[in-house]
Amino acid sequence: MDYTLDPTAPVTAALAAGDTYRPRTLDTLRIADEALRRVLEGTRHLVLDGGMGTMLQAAGLAAGELPELLCLTDPDAITSIHAAYVAAGSEVVTTNTFGASALKLGDAATVEDVFGAAVRCARASGARYVAGDIGPLGALLRPMGTLSFDGAYELFAREVRAGVAAGVDLFIVETMTDLAEIKAAILACRENSDLPIFATMTFEEDGRTFLGTPPEVAAVTLDALGADVVGVNCSLGPDELRPFVARMLAATDKPVMVQANAGLPHVEDGRTVYDIAPEPYAQAVGHMLDDGIGIVGGCCGTNPDYIRLLADMVRGRTPRERRGEPALTVASAQRLVALPAAGRRIAVIGERINPTGKKRLQQALREGDLDYVVGQGISQQEQGADILDVNVGLPDIDEVRTIVDVSERLCAATLLPQQIDSTDPRAIEAAVRRYPGKPIINSVNGKRESLDAVLPIAAHYGANIIGLTLDEDGIPETAEARVRIAERIVREAARYGIGPERILIDCLVMTASTNQAQALAILDAVTACKQRLGVKCALGVSNISFGLPAREVLNATFLAAAFGAGLDAPILNPGSERYMDVVRTFRVLNAEDSGSAAYIERYASWTDPYKGERTAGVTSTDALPDRQNTDGTIRHLILTGRKGDMPAATERLLATCDPMELINEHLIPALDEVGTLFDQGRYFLPQLMAAAEAARAGFDTVRSLMPAADIEPKGAICLATVKGDIHDIGKNIVKMLLENYGYTVYDLGRDVEAQRIVDTVRERGIGLVGLSALMTTTVKNMEATIELLRSEVPDAKVVVGGAVLTPEYAASIGADYYAKDAAETARIAEEVFGG
Amino acid sequence: MDHELESPILYRPVPGDAPRIDRFEMLRYLGYTGQRIDDELAARIEQTAADLERSVVPRGVRRVFAVDATARDAQGDPCIRLVGTAVELRGTDIFRHLKDARLCAAIACTLGMENERELRALSSQNPLDAALYDAASSAYIEAAVEAMQHDAVRAAEAHGMSANWRFSPGYGDCPLDAQPTLVAALNATRLIGLTVTDQNLLLPTKSVTALIGLFDGEAASAHDRPSCATCRLRDACPFRERNTTCHPAL
Repeated sequence: MDYTLDPTAPVTAALAAGDTYRPRTLDTLRIADEALRRVLEGTRHLVLDGGMGTMLQAAGLAAGELPELLCLTDPDAITSIHAAYVAAGSEVVTTNTFGASALKLGDAATVEDVFGAAVRCARASGARYVAGDIGPLGALLRPMGTLSFDGAYELFAREVRAGVAAGVDLFIVETMTDLAEIKAAILACRENSDLPIFATMTFEEDGRTFLGTPPEVAAVTLDALGADVVGVNCSLGPDELRPFVARMLAATDKPVMVQANAGLPHVEDGRTVYDIAPEPYAQAVGHMLDDGIGIVGGCCGTNPDYIRLLADMVRGRTPRERRGEPALTVASAQRLVALPAAGRRIAVIGERINPTGKKRLQQALREGDLDYVVGQGISQQEQGADILDVNVGLPDIDEVRTIVDVSERLCAATLLPQQIDSTDPRAIEAAVRRYPGKPIINSVNGKRESLDAVLPIAAHYGANIIGLTLDEDGIPETAEARVRIAERIVREAARYGIGPERILIDCLVMTASTNQAQALAILDAVTACKQRLGVKCALGVSNISFGLPAREVLNATFLAAAFGAGLDAPILNPGSERYMDVVRTFRVLNAEDSGSAAYIERYASWTDPYKGERTAGVTSTDALPDRQNTDGTIRHLILTGRKGDMPAATERLLATCDPMELINEHLIPALDEVGTLFDQGRYFLPQLMAAAEAARAGFDTVRSLMPAADIEPKGAICLATVKGDIHDIGKNIVKMLLENYGYTVYDLGRDVEAQRIVDTVRERGIGLVGLSALMTTTVKNMEATIELLRSEVPDAKVVVGGAVLTPEYAASIGADYYAKDAAETARIAEEVFGG
Repeated sequence: MDHELESPILYRPVPGDAPRIDRFEMLRYLGYTGQRIDDELAARIEQTAADLERSVVPRGVRRVFAVDATARDAQGDPCIRLVGTAVELRGTDIFRHLKDARLCAAIACTLGMENERELRALSSQNPLDAALYDAASSAYIEAAVEAMQHDAVRAAEAHGMSANWRFSPGYGDCPLDAQPTLVAALNATRLIGLTVTDQNLLLPTKSVTALIGLFDGEAASAHDRPSCATCRLRDACPFRERNTTCHPAL
């Protein structure tokens, strides 16, 4: 398949060009020989080599130098290390290319030259197999870092192509700590070669990688992505790694590899030595062989002495046969949701990130206000969702770009696995390809067109799917007809190597107000799908009550009935206490809430809403204070930063004055007063911000009560921390204050390309651009950004701020204004937009 | 060199033993100059600091290298090299700091990715909480580096050496481009999860690298503490504007 047609969504593009997708199996791979095939089938052990870096350092390599260059400058030294491992029993030697990416090599050498030389060194050792080594790039990927997924993919792809050209037998992607980075590397291997892929991640003593990924998430995700061998390397000794390895063994049926360190380093007689000797090391690895690992080798501190003992140990031995419990597994980089095929566990899929019928979310998506969208994810996580559905489908936005951005931002702020929800296959692929974890695709259905477009994406990226029981003839009325469509989806999925353990069938709820007879038919279909097809079932429950009053009451009853019928994954709003009551109580009944502990904790002091006085609507009208006092209250609340009381106070004042008057005569003067106090040093930053929070609560109340037309827009401002800079706390404070003055603020975040700022100015009619930079090194990018703004959108004014700037420097790089703090920026905005 | 001094040493305090966030330091980062703080804000500040101390444990690595002060950089200017590494430290300020030292204790310390994630999540949702958390994190990483420096100095003293203060790339005229090799020489990406961006900024953002000179006799510029004189922000410094400094009074 040609994966080069569209980097955003290569599978979709190749299908459109007439390619046929072939799912990855051992038969599609180029496997060096029968013995290696047996390794991949899990019926033969394999012995890798041990540490390269420590061997090189023992030979005098300076810390911080590029060891890969030695392949070119001292190939004999490298070959002799490989040869020592081969003599000790290594069947695989790993090329000295751990850091041979263009990013790390820089101008020192080309990736192709290093791989070519490295493979020659490895071949010269006489090894049975040569593994092309691919290590981390050393740069952090977005969203936490600055390197894009696509940028990382390109760097890895170049290494893979160089390795293939040089003639490696397989790739080892190793020592990874970021699930997004290892995903980019594995996809680069799959899409640029047909060689086996071994993939390992590195865990710290807390059982997580530096980016928070636990072993079972790694095992599930790497397995799903098509790694042929998964495992653990580096960081700790074999005894410490054993429990992590056991967790991997339980989460995948793929062969598992381990390359442990020889403990911790210390210096003895001028040489770095490790504290675990070969014999105890081998003994500890032996325990993991008993646990079921297939492939052994060493990492930092190991040498041929260690490998010799490992080779002796596996000689004449075959890997333990193992078969895990099948389960539907969904993973974010930090969290695994597992629904065992045999059990009755349930998972709540939060439905709030879907613009259908949600005006505020639609507005946020149109304006690019992703903070609001992310807030919806955070609140659902707090309310008890297990998985987040992510749908950004609006007719007038760029869905492909938006769903990728939203998904990425949610990854930075929440821990929940995602369900990528779109009707556009290209949007689905774009998001799923870049998602660090094993997501669900929502959805495929029984239509030929849908099956042909979505199943290859699910197959390629190892995603789960939701299958809707509708086809070319619409949604059938009977349970039996729904099950038939589900059957067809399961059968088609199998052709792509997608088993029932990766499928959730959604039997599609119709409203009881018009299709009353179908309500229970849907539940019969749920039961039948599970029994006959071995799939899990999802259901968007709230449709049942459409057109009826007291919808949550009916929905909750239907939800309980659906759980009884076997529903595994309700798609609902976790903000509804009523639904979550049903969920939490069912978790007692299905024995998921062990010992009812969570139930007891939550409901021990519960107040039954059906009993006693209703307490809603206590906003008392009898104590309506006169206008003068209320005005004083609002000013006082802002000055003292009391946001909690602001909505009520604002509402009261709105009864006697119009919104614009409230904003201009009350809220803004109070903010101005706070700004002055801040200038005088009588308030410090948190007090300024607490006042802004209170004012914000007032604005929000005005906006929620008044038609948008009654509030005059004050002007649009775009804020960004310039390219290369990753500090944004100051910019965020500026944003907060400007919003409170009533400006529409487009916050582009940090590390922002100049062109993106220019585009935003054009698209949104921006009058003022605020740029922030904290480092002397990034002020240059600020200057370049201003230059581009001047030539492309000369009418936009520019205000700059940041620790290293001075008024003189700001003028010298061409800014219109310099602001020393947020309050100053607000005053400048008043000046630009005419107060 | 004494081998015990040369080994890379990991800093990973057990949760109960993590350094304490200096609340006053945190307030100073927030621009505090003696304003009256009401109970609600005080409680919010205390909560932020206490939560951070509980939830995040700093990680660090330090290692001692021999100093070569006879080297020249590509421009032919004197520079400091750390022997056995690819680290080259340029600029007169770091040169003055290390030229008379026999050894240099290099330190890298970070609050890690969970801290970074929390910083990012808060900044998108609640600017005030984000500002408090950011200030608490800055004070926390300072406290952690302080603790690491203390350990390094104590270890040096046990070997009869004296130490000066800690100097970080980016201070004075020492360029940030020393960060990638310094991080590589300490193997800090692998050992503590510290990375460097293409603009030579450390990620996670709440991270510090630092260099301490170790001397056989009296430490040179031991009392030459960080001061506004070597700071490139001195002309536009919000602390100086408030008649205070970002570092403790000398």
